[in-house]
Amino acid sequence: MALIEIDNLSVTFDAGDRYVHAVQGVSLTVHARESFGLVGESGSGKSTILRAICGLAPISGGAIRIDGKPLQTPRGFDFARRVQMVFQDPYASLHPRHTIDRTLAEPLAIHRIGDTDRRVVQALRDVGLDPSFRFRYPHQLSGGQRQRVAIARALMLEPEILLLDEPTSALDASVQAETLNLLSRLRAERGLTFLMVSHDLAVIDHMCDRILVMQHGRAVEELDRDQLAAGAMKTGYARTLFNASADRMLDG
Amino acid sequence: MTLLSVKDLYVTFRTESGIVEAVRGVSFDLGRERLGIVGESGSGKTMTGRSVLRLIRPPGRIDAVEMTFDGIDLLKISERQMRALRGKRIAMVMQDPKYSLNPVMRVGEQLTEGLRRRDGLRGAELHRKAIAALEAVQIRDPERVLRAYPHELSGGMGQRVMIAMMLIPQPDLLIADEPTSALDVTVQAEVLSILDGLVRDRGMGLIFISHDLRLVGRFCDRVLVMYKGRVVEELEAKHLMQAQHPYTQGLLNCLPRIGGDRGPLPGLDRAAAWAG
Ligand SMILES: Nc1ncnc2c1ncn2[C@@H]1O[C@H](COP(=O)(O)OP(=O)(O)OP(=O)(O)O)[C@@H](O)[C@H]1O
Ligand SMILES: Nc1ncnc2c1ncn2[C@@H]1O[C@H](COP(=O)(O)OP(=O)(O)OP(=O)(O)O)[C@@H](O)[C@H]1O
Ligand SMILES: [Mg+2]
Ligand SMILES: [Mg+2]
Repeated sequence: MALIEIDNLSVTFDAGDRYVHAVQGVSLTVHARESFGLVGESGSGKSTILRAICGLAPISGGAIRIDGKPLQTPRGFDFARRVQMVFQDPYASLHPRHTIDRTLAEPLAIHRIGDTDRRVVQALRDVGLDPSFRFRYPHQLSGGQRQRVAIARALMLEPEILLLDEPTSALDASVQAETLNLLSRLRAERGLTFLMVSHDLAVIDHMCDRILVMQHGRAVEELDRDQLAAGAMKTGYARTLFNASADRMLDG
Repeated sequence: MTLLSVKDLYVTFRTESGIVEAVRGVSFDLGRERLGIVGESGSGKTMTGRSVLRLIRPPGRIDAVEMTFDGIDLLKISERQMRALRGKRIAMVMQDPKYSLNPVMRVGEQLTEGLRRRDGLRGAELHRKAIAALEAVQIRDPERVLRAYPHELSGGMGQRVMIAMMLIPQPDLLIADEPTSALDVTVQAEVLSILDGLVRDRGMGLIFISHDLRLVGRFCDRVLVMYKGRVVEELEAKHLMQAQHPYTQGLLNCLPRIGGDRGPLPGLDRAAAWAG
């Protein structure tokens, strides 16, 4: 049964003197417990699709359903409990004047969940950060440390669906491995569903069952994991992406 | 010829929970070449880069035996002289480009600020230069992007705007902190070839900070591998894949592969002894 259904979605921004057609008629479905990947050109609308699900982008056509039900606008309390997003820009999701402790504790307070101290420390440990980071501010962290706080924050409410926008793009190989392993383990243990964006096809291949390749706001080609691994793509753009990535692997 | 020389650099922060030594005794020389800095998250790559521009905010402090750029003692010159170097002769592409851009100023105004102030350009010529700078980094819709605010850009577009902006004054030294981490492979290749051209044709020095070992191995001439604030290995980039240091080897092993088995990725056995 499809958990997330995106049906002919269009998103149009009004940029004052013109309209930006960021997403044009994209459809995809993600089944419960599945992991679905979005890849494609920079500026092709990947982040906009995730933001549209969260009610953060102006939908101009089509529909988004979760569990077969259209989403309410604004998204509300229950949505936050079920769906959490890790933003591409970790700074954007971390309040500059709040300590990491406050950032992680806040969702618990809003949703009246207790046991705050233990949960905050555990969340930091889960993403490989020492509890001593609790009382730092975002600007006192490295780029990768900030990205991990953003992931920890999204996990605080134990959501069922995670929207992950380049969750490991600021992380080195070792921390990326740990973070991907954590995400995979949580998905197996808690039966999570992922919709994730990455420009790294190897990461997408490692994490996702199916992928959608995007370019200029449109869906170009959908592939399952075997097709991706075998390089069995039909469109020129998907092939270009694959070849450019495969070439990086030659000596790796 | 040495463009930048750094000897025994330390960066320390006094925080409520004690002293953080972000960089501990880093030394390197840079010629008109591509020097990669790789290493774990939090290993001090960004702080090393920012130190060269003396962009460490208090209470952080920089100590070094030497930090010389083209004969200029970066440790001694006044803040005013430093400001004259920044952006113009030494530029840095920040790791969080959207955060480093001014959120309430249109991209075009920020991009052309130097051209207007320093070079006195106006009107059609200014516009033409700005469009060309954006087209060079593969921005599809440069007219719109000039009029956009930073929040209206995608992650990778923000990164490319930042690169375009830093390259306009034709710096002698570019410090690029994860400049392509949000770019797909095809756009990334274009951006790298611009940087490559500037090093080869104009003799720019490039410090390329990245966590992407394969990319650095292909793109750079030399690589410093950092771990916990120290340089633990320095090698020719083309030998990166045969790195000797267990930490560097460990990093290479953690990478996922297309068509891999999808089992848990090998982690890194962090031996404290490496960093000393
Ligand atoms: N608030 C906004 N106002 C106007 N245009 C916007 C806005 N947000 C995004 N856009 C535009 O929508 C398009 C798609 O952006 P999006 O962030 O979804 O791309 P992306 O695929 O995530 O790219 P990247 O890989 O570089 O992050 C871009 O052209 C961008 O400039
Ligand atoms: N203002 C600060 N106060 C205290 N510690 C800081 C501050 N800024 C940075 N640090 C610490 O210094 C260390 C080095 O940070 P740096 O940003 O140089 O790491 P990095 O190698 O660039 O990592 P990444 O790949 O994650 O960006 C980190 O452990 C970080 O937490
Ligand atoms: Mg994006
Ligand atoms: Mg950094």
